[in-house]
Amino acid sequence: MYGWHLRILRVNLTTRKVTTEDVDPKIARDYLGGRGWAIHYMYKEMDPSVDPLSPENMLIFATGPLTATPAPTGNRYMVVTKSPLTGALAHSNSGGEFPTWMKRTGFDMFIFEGKASEPVYVLVNEDQIEVKSAAHVWGKDTHETTDILKAETSTEARVACIGPAGENLALMAAIMNDKHRAAARSGVGAVMGSKNLKAVVAMGNKNPPLHDPEGMRSISVETSKNVGADVKKGSNMRIYGTSYVPQVTNTLGILPTRNFLQGTFEHVHNIDGDALKDNYLIRHTPCYRCPLSCGRLTEVPDGPYKGKGEGPEYETISSLGTGCGVSNLAALVKANYLCNEYGMDTITTGMTIAVAMEMYEKGYISEDVIGMPLKFGDHDAMIEMIKLMAHNKGFGKDLAMGSYRLAEKYGHPELAVTTRKQEFPGYDPRGSQGMGLLYATSNKGASHMEGDVAYEEVFGVPVKENPLTTEGKPELVKHFQDSFALIDSSGLCVFVAIRYVFDKNRMIWPETLAAMMNLTTGAGYTPEEVMKAADRVYTLERMFLIKAGSGPEWDVLPYRMLHEPLPDGPAKGMVAELDKMLPEFYEKRGWDEKGYPTKEKLMELGLPLN
Amino acid sequence: MMIRVKLIANYREALPPEAKNGVVELNVPAGTTVYDAISRFDIPLNDESVIVLNGLTVDMDTPLKEGDMVTAFSAIAGG
Repeated sequence: MYGWHLRILRVNLTTRKVTTEDVDPKIARDYLGGRGWAIHYMYKEMDPSVDPLSPENMLIFATGPLTATPAPTGNRYMVVTKSPLTGALAHSNSGGEFPTWMKRTGFDMFIFEGKASEPVYVLVNEDQIEVKSAAHVWGKDTHETTDILKAETSTEARVACIGPAGENLALMAAIMNDKHRAAARSGVGAVMGSKNLKAVVAMGNKNPPLHDPEGMRSISVETSKNVGADVKKGSNMRIYGTSYVPQVTNTLGILPTRNFLQGTFEHVHNIDGDALKDNYLIRHTPCYRCPLSCGRLTEVPDGPYKGKGEGPEYETISSLGTGCGVSNLAALVKANYLCNEYGMDTITTGMTIAVAMEMYEKGYISEDVIGMPLKFGDHDAMIEMIKLMAHNKGFGKDLAMGSYRLAEKYGHPELAVTTRKQEFPGYDPRGSQGMGLLYATSNKGASHMEGDVAYEEVFGVPVKENPLTTEGKPELVKHFQDSFALIDSSGLCVFVAIRYVFDKNRMIWPETLAAMMNLTTGAGYTPEEVMKAADRVYTLERMFLIKAGSGPEWDVLPYRMLHEPLPDGPAKGMVAELDKMLPEFYEKRGWDEKGYPTKEKLMELGLPLN
Repeated sequence: MMIRVKLIANYREALPPEAKNGVVELNVPAGTTVYDAISRFDIPLNDESVIVLNGLTVDMDTPLKEGDMVTAFSAIAGG
């Protein structure tokens, strides 16, 4: 078989039994790979109602057929599990080098089950698989852990691990790979911690053969050339990474500021891409085989925030920065380093602190409870909160539950800006209506990584849509959700691959991506077939949510988005108009008026009817 | 009338030295459109660019008013 190994590694951490199994080629084709394969196995094998932090939850690492191929950005993997933050599905994506090294072990997917009786890590060196003690790295941060495990295995190995936040079951804990890359969202690191699994170490030289190596090389060279402005020397991504975006969203009035009390930030110039470039940027750092190179190696050379690492990218600036009203760039950079080292999702971390700041300022949480004043803009208090969260100490125990549970505990759930209990990323849906529909219906709770219609509403990729209108957005959101399910299943990064799912008339038509899949796997997909497979993946995830208790009743937006108009910026006076879009969205997805996939839709996609 | 043009990120290189924080003020005649204002600068006026007026999506032939801000940035999938 080409492209896929069609082999899965399964590790039962309770019994330490390691097994390998073959994948049915029909399943491989129908579910594409990565995110698609993972939901197929989870839906088939796991009761969706399990406690996410119990041994019964499955933790899946999944590469796609294009991972470790010459395809530009063919360097991604997905972490799929049931989320302890949302109770829905978690599927968090990461790049760097680990995913390519993981594919080279000779397995497409790792499934971790059960719970180890003591801290362990799993070493996968092709068919030599060992469950080893991690007692000596338990408690250590992600950077130390990576260095120690590489030193005792091989410098040729790559490491994905958790830090203190994951060990302490913080609900915003990430899984970090290659030190600075994060499968960040939905608390996947807490699931890993609950299994006493500190790290996964991957190495090997087994790549599946390509169906048409010459054709694949040719299309990869061609697509690298043709991704337009993104890869041109001197483009924004190469110079700034995503740190240029605060100026864009501030202009449009959708930059989350002070827990979404505002849509513009008066100090944005202090923390934008130019400030970062002029003060702390050392160089850009690409993921494996990436022509974009949006990673930033930065250094704060001296002072109280001295440090060196990667970031911040946009989502970190809009959460720990503007979300918390913080305008001290050195402190923001330091906060990012700490989140990477402790293994934390910067979005949920930042927006949870932002809620706490608002509750403190309104007198709903006292200084005695917090242990210090916690005003918007207090960057030192923000950094202290990150430390408390990661180590589950003091008020950090409350913060480590995320903003939904925090606001509920202190009697003001209306202040939490979440859907399915997950914090919003950096686009205020009152001024980007399609994003509101996306957040409300996302299978992983609020996220830009499950169908980022901001590409059209904000960035003009491939066309600029008016962000303030609702017309046409249900179909747009459906198309973007399916396109992202396709890209996440393929093993590519959305930043580049989004251009492979549109034709030259900028209509959804994934001819290029289907061609890459065919040259890699020989599966002979048509563009219609890969879109249908993506729809199958998305709909099966929805079925999982319904059984997990996170169904249509959670297709809502929080109070602030529906009832508090934006007070400033171009979208001043607007609220999110979800009710204008939701019925049409259900219809476009082939779901009934209550939001349940119809029997006809399930049959069309070849999915189980129950 | 006075208007402002803001160029973001790599487009800032097209601004004159007197620009501050990526914004330059211009004295333009009545009837000047979004297109007229932005075409004074050496940036691509095609699908590679996003151009907004006071943060809003408008036609390029929209006439400007005193105090308006025209903003441009390159179209890149980001965020």
